[in-house]
Amino acid sequence: MKENILIIGGGAAGMEAATQLQKMGLTPIIIEKSEALGGHIAQWDRLFPAFHPAKDVVEKMLDQVKDVKTYLNTEVVDIQKDNDSFHAVLSNNEKIDAKAVVLATGFDIFKAERKQEYGYGIYNNVMTSVELEKFFRTGKDERINNPKKIGFVHCVGARDVKVCNTYCSKVCCTTALKQACEIKEVFPDAEVYTFYMDLRMFGPGYEDLYLKTQKDFDVKCVRGRVCEVSEDMDGKLVIKAEDTLFGKPLKMTLDVLVLMCAMEKNKSIDAIQQKLGVANNSDGFMQNSDMYLGMNNTAQDGVFVAGACTAPKSLPDTIGEARSVATQVYNYINR
Amino acid sequence: MNSQIFHPFVLPFVLGMAFVLTYCFVGLIRVISQLPKDDRKKLGRSLVTPKTAWANIRDLFGDCLFHVKIWKRNPVLGYMHTAIAFGWFMIIVIGHVMLFTLKPLQGVEVEGLQGMFTNFYYPIFFKYFAEETPVFAFLMDFFLLMIISGILIAVVKKIHSKIVGVKRVMHFGFADTLIRFALWTIFPFRLIAEKTNIMAFWWLYSIDLLIFMCMLPFTRYMHIPTEALFILLRHAGIKVTEPRKGYALAELYSCPSCGLCIDACPMSVNDKMSGNTSAYFMKKLRNNDTEESQRIAETCLMCGKCVKICPLSIESCDIKFSQRAAVPYNINSDHSYLNVISTEAEKSQTNNHKPHVLYFAGCMTQLTPKIMRAMKQIMDKAGEDYQIMDENGGICCGRPMLLSGKVAEAKAMIEKNTELIKKSGAKRLVLSCPICYKVFKDEYHLEGIEILHHTQYIEELIKCGKIYVDRGDTKYVYHDPCELGRAFEIYDEPRYVIHSLGQIVDAKSEKENSICCGGSLGSFNLTQQERDAITENSVNDLMFNNPDEIVTACPLCLKTFARKSPVKVKDIAEIVSEKL
Amino acid sequence: MDFGFCLSPSSHVKMDSIDLTTFNRLKETNPDVNTCIACGSCTATCTAGNFTEMSFRRLLLMLQRGKEDEANKMIQRCMLCGKCTLVCPRGINIRKILLDITR
Repeated sequence: MKENILIIGGGAAGMEAATQLQKMGLTPIIIEKSEALGGHIAQWDRLFPAFHPAKDVVEKMLDQVKDVKTYLNTEVVDIQKDNDSFHAVLSNNEKIDAKAVVLATGFDIFKAERKQEYGYGIYNNVMTSVELEKFFRTGKDERINNPKKIGFVHCVGARDVKVCNTYCSKVCCTTALKQACEIKEVFPDAEVYTFYMDLRMFGPGYEDLYLKTQKDFDVKCVRGRVCEVSEDMDGKLVIKAEDTLFGKPLKMTLDVLVLMCAMEKNKSIDAIQQKLGVANNSDGFMQNSDMYLGMNNTAQDGVFVAGACTAPKSLPDTIGEARSVATQVYNYINR
Repeated sequence: MNSQIFHPFVLPFVLGMAFVLTYCFVGLIRVISQLPKDDRKKLGRSLVTPKTAWANIRDLFGDCLFHVKIWKRNPVLGYMHTAIAFGWFMIIVIGHVMLFTLKPLQGVEVEGLQGMFTNFYYPIFFKYFAEETPVFAFLMDFFLLMIISGILIAVVKKIHSKIVGVKRVMHFGFADTLIRFALWTIFPFRLIAEKTNIMAFWWLYSIDLLIFMCMLPFTRYMHIPTEALFILLRHAGIKVTEPRKGYALAELYSCPSCGLCIDACPMSVNDKMSGNTSAYFMKKLRNNDTEESQRIAETCLMCGKCVKICPLSIESCDIKFSQRAAVPYNINSDHSYLNVISTEAEKSQTNNHKPHVLYFAGCMTQLTPKIMRAMKQIMDKAGEDYQIMDENGGICCGRPMLLSGKVAEAKAMIEKNTELIKKSGAKRLVLSCPICYKVFKDEYHLEGIEILHHTQYIEELIKCGKIYVDRGDTKYVYHDPCELGRAFEIYDEPRYVIHSLGQIVDAKSEKENSICCGGSLGSFNLTQQERDAITENSVNDLMFNNPDEIVTACPLCLKTFARKSPVKVKDIAEIVSEKL
Repeated sequence: MDFGFCLSPSSHVKMDSIDLTTFNRLKETNPDVNTCIACGSCTATCTAGNFTEMSFRRLLLMLQRGKEDEANKMIQRCMLCGKCTLVCPRGINIRKILLDITR
């Protein structure tokens, strides 16, 4: 039993699914469009809730898939189902036959310039959470210049009809608090504010992180959504929000504003997804069969989904789904 | 030919005609009496002023008989209307000409009242009573056939409207259906009666006329007599004051329910919303259905497209506006707090610096910082002496309040802004938001201060060489904001600016046909989903020639389109600042 | 035995006895009044809020807590400019609701 299993996407979900499938005796093949495996998580510095270096996790995962057949800088350009086989054509013109397909295409980051009132791409000192993470990783960013006041805006591109994303992006609250602590570590004298609508600390150790931000890092959480950002004469950012707990609108000057950008569906897979007959749900992510027992299944036999391609997910969620998808694929092959 | 001067079959017609004439006379008195005194004077003056008198004659023929505007939009429909209206007019005229030139009644003892009575019906049934000369007979048959050809098109339109290029048509009730049937059969009956001289058809012809005339006041066909009055009132420069009185009443009854506005309306993206179009509004208001007409009035986007497209130029938006204004409020606004505002403009007064240009970004532009930044860059580059009026908050221009029908409340804001602007000492006022532009142009009295939208301002800066822009090869499409395009016909300025930056491609519907973005503050009732449907349709229309970027000149259009557009949406100021 | 606490003026909102007529009437024509997540965007962006206490978020709460008089006073400040409607992340048709309250 050496059936090929085509895994589209070489991020956390794709790598973990490949690892498990290989252990089950199947032949996973990873197709990754970028130049390296690892996905978004490889761009991350530390992970919430305990500031664990992302590198550790990524390196372990990479090590586990070192024997898996992997195509980098490659995309699937065409795919056909013929009885119970899938025939894929890759961008390097290679053809691959597989018995099952795992879509592990993950997410894209919301393009912050779409929320024009936050001034990303207009004012220099407005940055995204991804860029801040890069700063933590590399220590370099022109915009961060010994800032005295830093603000975080939650729910940028999430829970917002006005950008057509009504879902909660799940991980940004915790990420914001993590990053707030981290920036405070780098600049202990800076004042750090987060502007949230609800702080969704849903996982193990997350509430502890919240406590830590308050107790150890003196991060100030203001309940209110930032609605306008402008620039004053000195080039400092002026934000407007309502302090909803105090019941008054507030104006504030900041040196750096960090936008906690939501996860959006990775649209680069749309064409292939359509060919495979997998629809999108109302949030624009991929539709699985049902959210409980069919979370890895799709409307199409032999096509499976794992990770953030079906909804915003944390890393543990994704790894869990990647492991479960392996079982589903195994059972499908041995049906 | 029957050598007699009277037959009982003419009675139905005489009865119907007498009824309709009486009704119209009473209606005329009613409308005139409801006009404000000044408007009545205006009307009197306009009838004797050569310029308006000529316009009256031109439009009475052009609009009522030849339907010039319908021709321009849809020649088939134009022919249909002209054939019926002009054809009918001509057979009535020729009937009378025959009566007075052929003199069939000469030598017959008809004088006084009886003579008038005879003259009344004689031309309508001429052929029954007298002989036509060949030329007249030809003309009569020609115009009768012309009418019938028009009716044939009407029948086709009824069965399958798409053949004549109409997507959505009005849905009518029983009365309108019956009168339409009467109208369709009048002329075939007349033709058969004239050709066969069978008594039954003369009766049918006359009875049809009775049905038509008796139902006329209660159906859309009332537009035939009302239109003439409406044209006179319009040329007199009279405006709507109340939703169902005076001029508005004349407009209501002049609406022929032709339904051209249905296809034009941005809301007609689905069946449900197409019930919100002006044709239905006019019908509901005519029938005194206050609740529905109020609902439609408050749902309308006020984009003004129906007014532009209307063959009669009926100002339905004005009526909707007065309908909104007619609603009583339990709580009135209190904007007395405006009196204590100290703004930038006042500070500048104390600094004794009087800027040449005052820039008023407007509320919506606060949410589109790119526009504000671009404007600053442009004005800096041009070396303009300017000041931004509402950088740290401002007062709403008043247009959104006005749109709710609260005129007095809007005035309070208008007055405060006027005061601040005058205090600034600026000579020019530049606005970024067409919503503001409209109210500044219409309602503000800023003598000595030139009001410009930034499209006009930027065009001028480029033209007089104050700024230089690089031309690239980006393919732009321009969306005409309703309050800039249709309201003030600012079509060429933005196109000139875009043309100097790159290639400009056409949208499917442009300029006065441009489709509202769906975000309009004009509408109070539309839900987000309904607005989205309008936006998607408008974006598709703009994407017709596959542009690289959508350009508009309104912060609200910008924000609305940005949600649904597959390509980047930018303000005209933004693309200019990119190429400085 | 009554210790007098029942008589003492309390600052509690008496949820058992508040009059929700206005809010319920509003809810019939504008079901989205229930969908507010109290993010405060409307208040923060409010043009009138620059000068006054105007806050749509609080206005809705006032109506839901039986403080109709306060709400009626606050709403007089509104300029109907529509910025709140433009920023509301739940897409609540705030302008329409404001207009309906004053009727």
